[in-house]
Amino acid sequence: MSNSIKMKKQIGYIFLTIVIMLIALVIRLFWVQFVMGEELRQKAFAVRFRNVEVKAKRGIIYDTKGRSLAISISTDSFYAIPAQVKKSKKEKDIANKIAGALDIDENDVLNKITKSQAFVWIQRHVPEEKAQKLKSLELPGISFVEEPERFYPKDKLLANVLGFSGIDNQGLNGVEISYDKVLRGISGTIMVEYDAKGQEIPDALQKYVAPQDGNSIYLTIDETIQYIVERELDEIVKVSNPKKAGAIVMDPKTGRILAMAMRPTFSSNDYQNYDQSLWRNFLISDAYEPGSTFKTVTMSGALDEGVVKLNDRFYCGGFIKVGKEKIKCWKLSPGHGSQTFVEGVQNSCNPVFVTLGLREGVDVFYRYLYGFGFGKKTGIELPGEAIGILVGKKRCKEIDLATMSIGQANAVTPIQLVTACAAMANDGKLMKPQIVEKIQDNKGNIVKTVEPEVVRQVIAPETAHQVMDILELVVSNGTGKNAYVEGYRVGGKTGTAQKIIPGGGYSKTEYVGSFLGVAPVNDPKLVCLVVVDTPEGIYYGGTVAAPAFRNIIRDSLRYLQVPAQVEPDKISGNNKESLYLPNLVGSNIKDAVNTLANNKIKVDVLGDGTTVKMQLPLANTKVLEGSKVVLYTSVPAGDGEPELIVIPDLTGKNVGEVKELTKMLNLNFKIRGSGIVIRQEPEPGERVQVGGELMVFMGPKLENSVQQLGP
Amino acid sequence: MKIARVIKNLDYLLLGAVGLILVMGLFVLDSATVNASVKYNMSFVYRQIAWIVVGLIVFIVVLFVDYSKLSKYGVHIYVLNLLLLLAVLIFGEETNGAQAWIPIGPYKIQPAEIVKALLILGLAQFLAPRIGKLNTFKDLIPVFIYVGVPLLLILKQPDLGTGLVYVAIMFGMLLVAGASPLLLFSLIGGGIGIIVLAIYGHYAWDWWIPLKDYQLMRLVVFVDPMIDPHYTGWNVIQSQIAVGSGGLLGKGWGMGSQNINDFLPVQWTDFIFCVLAEEFGFIGSAILLLLFFVVIYRGIIIARKSKDTYGSLIAVGVVSMIIFHVLQNIGMTIGIMPITGIPLPFVSYGGSSLLANMMVLGLLMNVYIYHDQRIF
Repeated sequence: MSNSIKMKKQIGYIFLTIVIMLIALVIRLFWVQFVMGEELRQKAFAVRFRNVEVKAKRGIIYDTKGRSLAISISTDSFYAIPAQVKKSKKEKDIANKIAGALDIDENDVLNKITKSQAFVWIQRHVPEEKAQKLKSLELPGISFVEEPERFYPKDKLLANVLGFSGIDNQGLNGVEISYDKVLRGISGTIMVEYDAKGQEIPDALQKYVAPQDGNSIYLTIDETIQYIVERELDEIVKVSNPKKAGAIVMDPKTGRILAMAMRPTFSSNDYQNYDQSLWRNFLISDAYEPGSTFKTVTMSGALDEGVVKLNDRFYCGGFIKVGKEKIKCWKLSPGHGSQTFVEGVQNSCNPVFVTLGLREGVDVFYRYLYGFGFGKKTGIELPGEAIGILVGKKRCKEIDLATMSIGQANAVTPIQLVTACAAMANDGKLMKPQIVEKIQDNKGNIVKTVEPEVVRQVIAPETAHQVMDILELVVSNGTGKNAYVEGYRVGGKTGTAQKIIPGGGYSKTEYVGSFLGVAPVNDPKLVCLVVVDTPEGIYYGGTVAAPAFRNIIRDSLRYLQVPAQVEPDKISGNNKESLYLPNLVGSNIKDAVNTLANNKIKVDVLGDGTTVKMQLPLANTKVLEGSKVVLYTSVPAGDGEPELIVIPDLTGKNVGEVKELTKMLNLNFKIRGSGIVIRQEPEPGERVQVGGELMVFMGPKLENSVQQLGP
Repeated sequence: MKIARVIKNLDYLLLGAVGLILVMGLFVLDSATVNASVKYNMSFVYRQIAWIVVGLIVFIVVLFVDYSKLSKYGVHIYVLNLLLLLAVLIFGEETNGAQAWIPIGPYKIQPAEIVKALLILGLAQFLAPRIGKLNTFKDLIPVFIYVGVPLLLILKQPDLGTGLVYVAIMFGMLLVAGASPLLLFSLIGGGIGIIVLAIYGHYAWDWWIPLKDYQLMRLVVFVDPMIDPHYTGWNVIQSQIAVGSGGLLGKGWGMGSQNINDFLPVQWTDFIFCVLAEEFGFIGSAILLLLFFVVIYRGIIIARKSKDTYGSLIAVGVVSMIIFHVLQNIGMTIGIMPITGIPLPFVSYGGSSLLANMMVLGLLMNVYIYHDQRIF
């Protein structure tokens, strides 16, 4: 075979090889483009879009009457797309204008807007006026998004229960965290087309997926009752300056918490500037030895178990011997002497309750202890609930039983104690304490209603009624006299417990005074516990806590329009006479006080001067008999008589209208949020001095943004 | 007189196919450089057209030199090759980690590309007397040395892709020169086997291998690009996304998102096929492959018709070179070849590559024109 012929054959082989390889190439190409095609097309789409999250508005937190306690207001957050800024070739000019509008450092701005990133925040939550200024400049590559910011219109009110949420809209404490998933909503996205280097392409495709606003929550809290409670706590702080004070009000029939407040507290709007320890809700997170208030539990168990009859007689010689140990009564020798069971309860006599506990025995005692929910979380939907510390049942000796019977040795949380007492007020049925009443979606539909939940029947209804009757006697004749409310049948129990010293033993100087009570006892509407931790001066619960309890119960029952049962004419405000206040400014303080006293008007005098410099309400204001007038003998600020201005209602007005009105009235104003005015501070009708400051909170137009005021 | 004969004897089918490839290439290049032309502030298309014109001149010059007269200069050509490659190592500029460019005025040339054409000529001359005497491995050793020296120089740059082209040219020409196909294919198979074993050994027993980390990673991500999806695996993944998302008809000229948004690496040179496949789909890709098939087919015909074995060897060398470029370049974009940076002939942007291709096209045409001795 000649070389030439062989060569042609070899060339044929080469061609064949090439053809096979080409066919393989085409088959693979076909495979990639058709079989893998769809998947790869999606990848090609996905690979060039990046998501910028758009935060949803957190749902509103309302009180039970629909008054808003936490709202989300829209603020503008500005960002730059450096690719577009650079394209305009006016970086310095842009930075200069932004710095001017926002009042921030120009170099910082320049650095930000020229970063080699696709997206840079310039400033988030920009105040309305600055935002307007910046928007009007219409700078290339600079845009803004509405970002919701949490705002608590009542500021400190209910702060420890509400908690707060952070800059990224995440719940961080209180209801805000325990209901975070409900409130949070679903973030939307701006999908922005990017190139491979992650730079947003000028004029690129953008796809916007709107966020879904969070659901709103109606709390069981009633703002008015909450306000009353907070007011009383402030009073306690004023009078006895305790380390801590707190109160819980519960509807015993449903387990719903109507109010929960404590001192010291913090501002939900400004939580960063308060010590973290103040964020804590110690009413559910901290356990304490309740002292005598716990005797209600001992008594309920003893009566229900039948180990004591109302007329059983007891003798108190100032102490009782348990084994080798002596347990003292608070009334030392000679003690309470001979007394019936009911008298013993009225006297809060320790030997009586120790005897009851010992009669019950360990098994029975613990049955009621557990039955009332001690030693276990109540399940209230707030973060950080504590279990409390009980003496272990297995190692419980007689002396332990004895001390437990008078509210020592066991540490319980205030919420446990209130819940237990509510069971006594609710025919013996223990309810699960609730803080949330219902959940409403962002279209206004109720998506969930939290029904009252019976945990168990702890004591028989008859026993419960007996307990109520006895507690009423404690208030009407016993240690709880300070809790007496005219016109209502109130029952309750004082408590004064020595604090445990860390490391063992009881403090001789630190006490927790408390009052636990129910009203009205024949048809309980409210259960309330007031705890005052380490008050200065007098520390007896009957002195430091009972007055607050009384005021809370009285004002709340009236607010709830619970009909008075005794002497109805005295408490009905409708029968009161009204009068117009005379002008007292300039008159002698004594004369002024007398004038008012003659008209059955209460007076508060502020200042040490002898002449009235200012009065509130002003002269010629119509007031009811029994209402209060404040007389200033020194003017709080400035010289002479300040001109007072009645604040108009700005609700529903826009920025322009607010500006105009405030200018007319010589007031300064601050704006938070954007949209229309949904709330203002001070509220309409209040008076402020000329040049005073008005704070308006703006938000989107919402039907439910109009506040409903309590009766 | 001679001009008329040359014109009369041109292979117009081959010429037409190359012409269409060039035109297609310009359209794709225009789209592939929408961003790059702004970034570098120049028109890649006009430059490429300028290079095509220069290439045509080279092509025409090559046409008028009877290839058979070049056989006398085999040694000169070989020495020139080595000098060119040495010059790169001495004067070359480093770009992207490889020292492959020599700056000449405002331009940079890649001698390795020109060497491809010259190697074909030299090797044809070297093999012609050995035809029929290449039956054992021992017989092949001189050929391996002949190609091995420039190969080592090119690997020194390092330019593995071009090195592989040299090897492909050598195997193609050896096959035609009568070396046993069994021997050649077992050598190729054995070579691949050794590489696979060496890499496995590198990972399993920490063997030393003469590959830089990035070269090794290219082979690793060829097997599984997701090992390093954002760095070495990026090209593998993004190029397949581009090709695959093109579908039957493509996204349209200038509409390829992978291209426009720069997800493709240097899409005007090595990854230009992705732009074609993304924007013109399977139809566009198939037309290009068909055109290349015509080029190859004509090359084979020319090799068979050559008046002498020297011409056949040249033609087969050219065919081997072009087909290897096509298979390797397209293959890497669709995941059947590891990533090595070699251009798609007549399509990828780049003067040196275009000149080399026009030069070998001239050689091929030359062999065709002079195949029928009767006309001269």
